[in-house]
Amino acid sequence: MSMAGGAIWKGNIFFGDTNLPVKLHTAIREERIQFHLLHRRDHVKLRQQMICTFDKKPVPVEAQVKGFEVEEGKYIIIDPEELEQAAPESSRMIEVHEFVTTGQIDPVFLDRVYYLEPDFHVKGYNALVGVLKEMEIEGICTWTMRKRSYLGALQASGTILRLNTLRYADEVISAKSLELRNIPLSEKELNIGSDLINQLTGPFQPQKFENEHEKKLRHLIDRKARGEKIAVLVPRRLKPTASDKLLQALEASLKHVA
Amino acid sequence: MSRRVVEIAGRRLSVSNLEKDLYPSYGFTKAHILEYYRRIATFIMPHLKGRALTLKRYPEGVDKPYFFEKRCPSHRPAWAKTMEVRRDDGERMTVCLVNDLETLIWVENLASLELHVPLARAGSPETPDSMVFDLDPGDGANILDCARVALILRDLLTELRLSGYVKTSGKKGLHVYVPLNRKETTFEDTKRFSKAVAEIMQKNYPNLVTARMAKEYRKAKVFINWAQNDSSKTMICVYSLRAREKPIVSFPLAWKELENLSKQGDPEKLQVMHSEAVDRAEKQDDLFREVIVKKQKLPYL
Amino acid sequence: MKTRAEGPVPWKSSSGKGNEPALQGIWSGTISFSLVAIPVQLAKAVEPGRVSFRMLHSKDYSPLARRMFCPEEETTVPPDEIIRGYEIGPDKYIVITDEELESVSPERSRTIEIVEFIDMKEVDPVYYDHPYYLVPSKGGEKAYQLLVEVMRRTDKAGLAKFVMGEREYLVAVKSTEGVLALITLHYIAEILPYEGISPKDRKIDAEEKNRIKKSIKNMMADFSPEKYADGRRKKIMDLLKKKAKEKAPVEAPQVEEEEGEGPADLVAALKASMRKVKKR
Repeated sequence: MSMAGGAIWKGNIFFGDTNLPVKLHTAIREERIQFHLLHRRDHVKLRQQMICTFDKKPVPVEAQVKGFEVEEGKYIIIDPEELEQAAPESSRMIEVHEFVTTGQIDPVFLDRVYYLEPDFHVKGYNALVGVLKEMEIEGICTWTMRKRSYLGALQASGTILRLNTLRYADEVISAKSLELRNIPLSEKELNIGSDLINQLTGPFQPQKFENEHEKKLRHLIDRKARGEKIAVLVPRRLKPTASDKLLQALEASLKHVA
Repeated sequence: MSRRVVEIAGRRLSVSNLEKDLYPSYGFTKAHILEYYRRIATFIMPHLKGRALTLKRYPEGVDKPYFFEKRCPSHRPAWAKTMEVRRDDGERMTVCLVNDLETLIWVENLASLELHVPLARAGSPETPDSMVFDLDPGDGANILDCARVALILRDLLTELRLSGYVKTSGKKGLHVYVPLNRKETTFEDTKRFSKAVAEIMQKNYPNLVTARMAKEYRKAKVFINWAQNDSSKTMICVYSLRAREKPIVSFPLAWKELENLSKQGDPEKLQVMHSEAVDRAEKQDDLFREVIVKKQKLPYL
Repeated sequence: MKTRAEGPVPWKSSSGKGNEPALQGIWSGTISFSLVAIPVQLAKAVEPGRVSFRMLHSKDYSPLARRMFCPEEETTVPPDEIIRGYEIGPDKYIVITDEELESVSPERSRTIEIVEFIDMKEVDPVYYDHPYYLVPSKGGEKAYQLLVEVMRRTDKAGLAKFVMGEREYLVAVKSTEGVLALITLHYIAEILPYEGISPKDRKIDAEEKNRIKKSIKNMMADFSPEKYADGRRKKIMDLLKKKAKEKAPVEAPQVEEEEGEGPADLVAALKASMRKVKKR
């Protein structure tokens, strides 16, 4: 297992009379089988190119401009200098505006996690870790990184601090908007359902889960490389449980697991 | 600001600003607009279904600035049907699919008075379901000139064994649709075909028709905008309202009716208002139905 | 190419499939727990807020399109000539088709099978990847609501694995505000350890703690995300509005005003038909 990546940015956590310099590290490394796009004919790896939809010819970067569509086929041109001006002021400040109880933030808002490494001021860093854990709180903060504005939650985890970036309110589709018709459920169905869930409950053990598909995919690739023929299988589809058979299915399930 | 919760097909939807007058010189409120679309729903839905909607929102009324949106507004109910489409520059975009009444009402609650859709469905964006002749009168020409062009076009198409269907744009012109509904059809086909037709029309009726877009060629003539046959273009959906002074609708006309109206010589008579649209649709059913079901093949390509 | 904000979406190659019937949304199938199966569709829970621009040709403002280009033949390659390959050596590839991809885990590409339930409080937020909502399909409304309600009552979430496109996801299915949310999780192997950056000296100074607590006491609040807006996005929109007032937007040329008449057969047929029409 590899170590957390090198520092990608440096900032200062700032609130009240606290000023903590920190270094940001990525917390996730996704490893995935990468495919390439090839030309069917000769298996040559393809490259991306921007072509003009009018004359169908490739267009070099110098001849490309950004436009914002205001009406069908009509654009307002914006040039890189103008976009620069709209970029937020660079600063190293990670400003904490308020603190909220841990668990208040709905997971739908959580985006990326960064580990924070103390940049010298270890005393202050450890103390902040201690306070956040003791009070069970997170700090809501804003900062600017690489010309973009970020909103995030400053969290304590184990012995370190983390920055969990948050989505903006208008980027999240509220669950409340899915207003479903209220279908009456019997107490019996609800009780059996609850029992069933409790029977199937266990501790969260993430180490149990591996990306099996990835393994099988590699296996598939190996088999093809050896020249084997691959049988095409149809995805399994389950038959939906009819509403009037729901209680029955629940009872059978409970018997099955008990 | 009034806000009500309505229930449609088991989904609850919050509608707002019902008393806001969006057609101020005529008097047509948001409530009226929702009612119009509710009543025209069965007729308009098959023409919207599965197509990436372009919204034109007039939250302050037809005489105020509007919002043009191709992306489905992110503050949408989770049940609103959407689809991820890939634009030809690689960008991914979520579009609204008005596949059911509740999504139509949600969209209308956003004051999207005009509903514009492409000629192809979102799942097969390079396959047009029909070919269109967008007849646009230049300065000095009017809808009656378009009617003349449409009738000649009909005859020409008949000679080629193709059926066409006509509707008003709800503004100044007419649209003639030629249903195709075959998966082999491409925009290249429809563009090439319609361009050739437009050019022969221009050749034979030089004082009435032009196939050229430049403004100087369009004076007092009807421009056949064959370039609308493109995956990036949209057309006003049949039965949609238009954002003009009065709530006029893009409405299908029977060819016989167009002939009569053409003879009568009153351009206003071709325009169909919201109430007339609902009455006529309920009586004569969807005159544009064939546009989505009839299968035809473009010959000589 | 794909930005993080958009989350995973199945990538389909166009290997000879031609025009497929319109797909609804991102994914549809069934979610199950024990012997109960519920038909559902995956729906987006988040949408990137960035301002969307189009790349245009500076010469005439025609929109640009991304195409795949074969460096060998020096030509653009249409979608039906593009295939997916895995590199096993320099210029050596194994081709994998869509059907083969779906065959890898056929039991999981249309089914989200919940095999156990957990307490979400045990899940460290570092595991969260991307959120979605599950929307019941016709006929599944009652069973769906039952699952929502019993997970709410027991305060548990379901763990499952399912395959979408090229990838298999570990997911948590939880009940939130009357709805099922599905959150893809990172595998433990993808989470980097932090031992290397954790301070060796773990001592916590009481005075330092008190100083910090004093500041925090006046800063407690409830989480209300609407308070914060993306400043940069607003600036860009303001700039665009200003520019829209100053100058009319540009328009790309519509078409090649070429002199060519079109396919010979068609033109001949049109000429003949036109003659007949004029005679009427």
